[in-house]
Amino acid sequence: MQRKYFGLIPLILVIIVFFSCKNEEYSVPLGKTGLNNDCIKRTLGPNIVGNNIEFAYAMAIPALEGKIVSAQVVASIAGAPATYLENRSFYTNASGVDVGITVGSPSVNTDNKTMVTFTKDTCASTLRYFYSIPEAARGQSVTFTFSAISSNGQTVSYEMGPYAIVKMDMKLDLVATDNKACYISIADMAIYDAATAAANADKIDLVYLYRAITGLTFNHALASPAATEYLPGITLPAGVSKSTKMSKTWALNDFNLARLQYGIYIDDADFKVIDFTNAPNFVINLKAQAGAWVETADGKYRAYIYINSVNNATSSMTVSIKRYLMK
Amino acid sequence: MTIISLILITLVWVRCAKDFPVDEDGLLITSRAQCYVSNFELLGADFQTVRTAAAVIDTTALTINTIVLYGTDLKNLYPQFSLVTDAKLDPKITGKVDFSDLTNPKKYTVISGNRQVKKTYTVYITVQPKP
Repeated sequence: MQRKYFGLIPLILVIIVFFSCKNEEYSVPLGKTGLNNDCIKRTLGPNIVGNNIEFAYAMAIPALEGKIVSAQVVASIAGAPATYLENRSFYTNASGVDVGITVGSPSVNTDNKTMVTFTKDTCASTLRYFYSIPEAARGQSVTFTFSAISSNGQTVSYEMGPYAIVKMDMKLDLVATDNKACYISIADMAIYDAATAAANADKIDLVYLYRAITGLTFNHALASPAATEYLPGITLPAGVSKSTKMSKTWALNDFNLARLQYGIYIDDADFKVIDFTNAPNFVINLKAQAGAWVETADGKYRAYIYINSVNNATSSMTVSIKRYLMK
Repeated sequence: MTIISLILITLVWVRCAKDFPVDEDGLLITSRAQCYVSNFELLGADFQTVRTAAAVIDTTALTINTIVLYGTDLKNLYPQFSLVTDAKLDPKITGKVDFSDLTNPKKYTVISGNRQVKKTYTVYITVQPKP
């Protein structure tokens, strides 16, 4: 009774093999017709006033249908004057170098619109757009509308954003030198010498010094004017006396400040959560890639000071600062 | 019938096997009675060591002596204890610890794996003097 079904097994196998081995008809995929576009954002991390947000905008139309006439970007908040849309389309050569081919006239900014008019017979191009973040955008959101027009009258557009523009400020590569330009102002994001510090005494938050003391690891230090024990040999300018809270860090290599390979970004939110309870008013033995969270005596500003480099021979330190207005 | 009886007996045996005992922290209570600190570390707010040399641990006197760098921020330190196998520490270290009151040194109790032995260590910190 059961054995009569065994004869069906080879038949089922043959059917399975037959169907599984059936060739699928291949057809060459058809390209899209008409004018098409696409866009990516190339920059990462917080969008800081004064920095660029970079995009790559691609547009293409089949050669038989026409050519690209123009490309433009409209930002919801007009960019700073340095905003531009590349008039070159890039390709990467065999050596890995991006080579630009001019396809249009240099971009023109009109209010919040940036436009490139094509001058070459081009049916496919990728243009980079650099939006220089203006002061007017601080704390706001920005959106972008990329669009292109082809010779056959077609128009395409691509929306990007919204992107939040952070409130923080940033200053890069400030050089502090022991006993010279060593008075750091968070309010001004600047480093002053004694004479200028005396004139801006209410703005001086920190003093940089370098001491090679035998038996101690003092070295490069940042100390509040009030932390006199950690300011050996320093006579403060008149009126410089603030106590600034600090918290030492190591290897917090913010990408914007360090410009190293690490994908770490300090954002507005980070400043709000730092706990300065019981924080000291000095940090000593600082090395390159160390840093310090800082809160000014009046609580108005919080900042992150990153040590880009130190130099024992010249008793100097290069720092980069991100600063956030708390109140 | 015999097989069913065997399965039933097995189930009952497995069900009634004594669970591994755990303490109030959900940690396994073992038979180990050893109770000591094997290593001690102190990290600053930047998670780098603040010691000038290895801490001296006296398992008889139940003391830990360590010298920290000049300028160490004693209010914001992260102590790290290495304990003998299965032991635990009381109080638990959950974040920064304030060691600035040098006249009242911090005390930490090591509790053995069998939770029967308790030894309280005192952490003495000395700040490297300025020459």
